[in-house]
Amino acid sequence: MTRVRFYGRGLPGVTDQQFAGKLIAIEGPDGVGRSTQIALLREWLEASGYAVSLSGLRRSELASVGIDAAKQGHTLGHTTMALYYAVDLADRLERVIIPALRAGFVVLTDRYLYSLIARNEVRGVDGAWIRSLMGFALVPDAIFFLRAKVEDLIPRVLGTRGFDYWESGMDFLGHSDYYQSFAEYQARMLAAFARLGQEYGFRDVDASGSIESVFQQLRDGIREVVQELKPRPTQG
Amino acid sequence: MATLADGTPLPGKLFIVEGIDGSGKSTQLDLLRKWLIATGYCVAFSEWNSSPLVRDTTKRGKKKKLLTPTTFSLLHAVDFAHRLQQQMIPALRAGAIVLADRYAYTAFVRDVARGVDPAWVREVYAFAVVPTVALYFRVPLDESLRRIVTGRPKVKFYEAGLDLGLSDDPYESYRIFQARILREYDRLVDEFGLHVIDATLPIVDQQEIVRAVVEPHLEGALRAEPNPWRSVLSTEHLSGHYLDSLLQQVARS
Repeated sequence: MTRVRFYGRGLPGVTDQQFAGKLIAIEGPDGVGRSTQIALLREWLEASGYAVSLSGLRRSELASVGIDAAKQGHTLGHTTMALYYAVDLADRLERVIIPALRAGFVVLTDRYLYSLIARNEVRGVDGAWIRSLMGFALVPDAIFFLRAKVEDLIPRVLGTRGFDYWESGMDFLGHSDYYQSFAEYQARMLAAFARLGQEYGFRDVDASGSIESVFQQLRDGIREVVQELKPRPTQG
Repeated sequence: MATLADGTPLPGKLFIVEGIDGSGKSTQLDLLRKWLIATGYCVAFSEWNSSPLVRDTTKRGKKKKLLTPTTFSLLHAVDFAHRLQQQMIPALRAGAIVLADRYAYTAFVRDVARGVDPAWVREVYAFAVVPTVALYFRVPLDESLRRIVTGRPKVKFYEAGLDLGLSDDPYESYRIFQARILREYDRLVDEFGLHVIDATLPIVDQQEIVRAVVEPHLEGALRAEPNPWRSVLSTEHLSGHYLDSLLQQVARS
């Protein structure tokens, strides 16, 4: 059981006192291996008997296609983009995450509002505004932050999809050089995450080591969060 | 070590392959890539004319037959510049190995075979990074045509060089166009020091040569553990079925 709390003014119509499920946010920089870990955690949770629902940034039915199109154009202002991501998060909360929590699922979300706040803060968007904007977000049961250094991220990003325009901060840093821009943007994001970690109570996971060691840290942390969902054996 | 025009060092290694259609260069590059990854290197890959940036423009130009030798050449240069800036140079700056399927030399042969001035197209590509090794897979025209015709049902308009009015018959046109390209490649071998590989050899023999040519240049390249998830699956008794679908998704995108 989870007591329902919002970061700000909440969502109209959500009057539940408690949810049967658990909301767990996995945060961390680009290329740190969040998707890999979530794929492993999902399998482990299901094997342990928990029903799992996944969510993640830009995966809403309502707004994902529109945001993708907007990103191709590179034309939106920071405020507009923040609002579009807020549409995405609200849609996922109202139509995926909250129903799953009511039904008793463990919901793993790949990034949550903290990534959005960090991205906007490094771009100079007013921190108080973005926090009140995202005030409809549920407070999760735990936030795990995968911490790594920029040097750890580079080979992982190169080995998979390469440097992305937005993940390199090319929209505002003003370098024409992807490598330099990526390194600088990610360093700023890590600094922003460090501040947010204090504010929101991230549980730090050292993600500079092997996939195995990261998984084990996450598994132990998540086991603690979800164990109260397991029916206790009754004494006969 | 290669550098950018402003002196920025590029500690990575750039290996590129060239050859006419049906020379088997992509097969060889793919084998090289798998070997390098399995050996523990961080490998980035870039393919000629693959960036989404100009895709619609090129498609429109092809469909409406708007392309001239000059605009066709420039569109390829736009694609190349974008991939160089976004994919290849960042990886080279990080010290990784970059594999490119076709490089500026493709423009030097194809565009010149279309009648573009050879000096001009070389000047256009002045911003290209000089590869660590450039492999040229040389194959006789008849052999390449045999491979292409069995592999693909129909040659496309621009691929066949039909825009040049060499012949009304697509296959005859393709043949004349490829012959021109082949002649241009032969000119480049000395001009740019391309490493020639006999592409009529069995695949296995060619790959052995490719690895032998590349190997002396690998020292100091950025490393990345291959399949780093292997050990977690065995120690945690997981099958990795969700991970498999994730990896497939990444491979598709």
